[in-house]
Amino acid sequence: MAAQLFLNGLVTGLLLALPALALTLIFGVLKFANFAVGAMLTFGAYAAWVANVQLGLPLFASALVAAAATALAGVVADHFAFERLRERGSITLMVASMGVSLVIENVCRFFFGNASRGFDIPPSRPIRWEGLRINHEQITTAVTVVLCLIAVDLLLRFSPLGRAMRAVADNASLAAVRGVDRRVIARLTWALSGALLGLAGVLAGLDRAIDPLIGWNYQIPIFAAAILGGLGSPLGAVAGAIVIGVAEEMSALVIPTNYRQVVSFTVILALLLFRANGLFGAKAARK
Amino acid sequence: MTAYLVTVAILVCEAALIGLALNFQWGLAGLVNFGVVGFVAIGAYVTALLAPELGWLPAMAAAGAISAALSTGLALLSIRLEENYLAIVTIGFGEIVRLVILNEEWLTQGALGIADIPRPFAALGEAFGGDLVFIAFTGALLAIVFLGLEGLARSPFGRALRAIRDDATVTAALGKPVFALRVRAFAVGGAVMGIAGALHAFYLRYIDPSQFTPIVTAYAFMAVIAGGRGSNVGLLLGAGSIMALLEGTRFLKDFISAIDGVQLSALRLGLIGVGIVLLLILRPQGLVPEPRRRVADVLPGGRD
Repeated sequence: MAAQLFLNGLVTGLLLALPALALTLIFGVLKFANFAVGAMLTFGAYAAWVANVQLGLPLFASALVAAAATALAGVVADHFAFERLRERGSITLMVASMGVSLVIENVCRFFFGNASRGFDIPPSRPIRWEGLRINHEQITTAVTVVLCLIAVDLLLRFSPLGRAMRAVADNASLAAVRGVDRRVIARLTWALSGALLGLAGVLAGLDRAIDPLIGWNYQIPIFAAAILGGLGSPLGAVAGAIVIGVAEEMSALVIPTNYRQVVSFTVILALLLFRANGLFGAKAARK
Repeated sequence: MTAYLVTVAILVCEAALIGLALNFQWGLAGLVNFGVVGFVAIGAYVTALLAPELGWLPAMAAAGAISAALSTGLALLSIRLEENYLAIVTIGFGEIVRLVILNEEWLTQGALGIADIPRPFAALGEAFGGDLVFIAFTGALLAIVFLGLEGLARSPFGRALRAIRDDATVTAALGKPVFALRVRAFAVGGAVMGIAGALHAFYLRYIDPSQFTPIVTAYAFMAVIAGGRGSNVGLLLGAGSIMALLEGTRFLKDFISAIDGVQLSALRLGLIGVGIVLLLILRPQGLVPEPRRRVADVLPGGRD
């Protein structure tokens, strides 16, 4: 039982890693907590559903469609909302992201209603190994996430874009003096985060029914993961996500499953009180 | 039609109460609270549980007190946090309240909700037509809260909060107890949200968890942004115009026959989101900007 929960938690954690990474990238480069992560994840799930069920594309192609569509949504949101508020401080941007979140969620609701939907994939038996049940969806999730994380890591570490993003995150004015165009970097950060959130939406849609609140269900764990890793630290976000995923699933051993989200909330609160910089980060959370 | 106007008027008053509370916390003291709905829900449930036993006034007082106590507790834990983190802690608090209400059925009856909540002055209502008495009650409640908060905003306490909002370091250097003032500001806001929740329960006389979604928080933010952060008069205008917009769009259905109920509600909620973003971009100071007091207003003979 415990081993099974640990395994499930590991996969849940990997699923959380993509949105937590997206949240932390936006926070690092643009310095605000983006409350639209959940809604963008929902958007990705619906984009993939349209490609998969209505257009009949295979799931892999649908995932690419979702990543592209959500990346575009991120860029559009930046163009119409966030870019115009960039100099107004993080509270304004945060409140604006709540507005954007409402818009995205309700665009999905407008076109697809409140009904639950699922991808068109053949049901398959779980694999049994050493007494553990492993679903095919779990393997898909784990492989996709690990590949994405390697790609993002390489991008951040070795590409000119990654260097520029890290430079802006570190010191935006200094980066600007050195000729890094903040506007371009912001757009590309939104595109990258959007792509990650879109893929996360597809994986979430494999795990549970797609409805307009699918992303909202992940909102608190995503923030818990990113804060646990120290907002702004990509490696920390991934580690934080795995810790949160395992903690949430394992909590079923001691508390009713209805209260899973309490685990994330408690982790956030305890961490902010006792170790305000996250496990890996160095950004001050205290005033 | 009269009944409908009465409904709108009461909804405006409730939105204004919640907005005034958020305006005190966020507009005046600069403390973000994304968990507004949690405090309103607590007020509503406390009222629903206590009003049949104790009567409306003790129940409403308890709603304010319990909500204030919980917001004090939350503030003690988290008010030192930088605003991004405070936002996430409060949003988490709102979710936890929802989970508790949904799952602790012995207390809250879970998704079923609580029915038959008695209204204040029910006997008087029977005699004169219930709605008129209730709307007078609502108006009086709003007036009392408005005057109370406006008084606080003009008091030394309110001035200290504005100073903290604008520059906490300088205020601390001037000897103001920043932490204690912030906690008190959060508690005052929490109390008013609890009272707004009580009004909600009295008006609908039936509450369930589905009435307390994060959208309540979004309305409150939009009211504060529309009205002008820190301005209570602006807030009344803001809350009024948002409710007018929301209720007005209900009639869209009569003109656009192609959309169904779900689409209509999605359209209206999406409009709120668009409204928040547009207001932030186009009119960040709101409809009625916060009055900037000059030295001359406070000290006769002081320099302008």
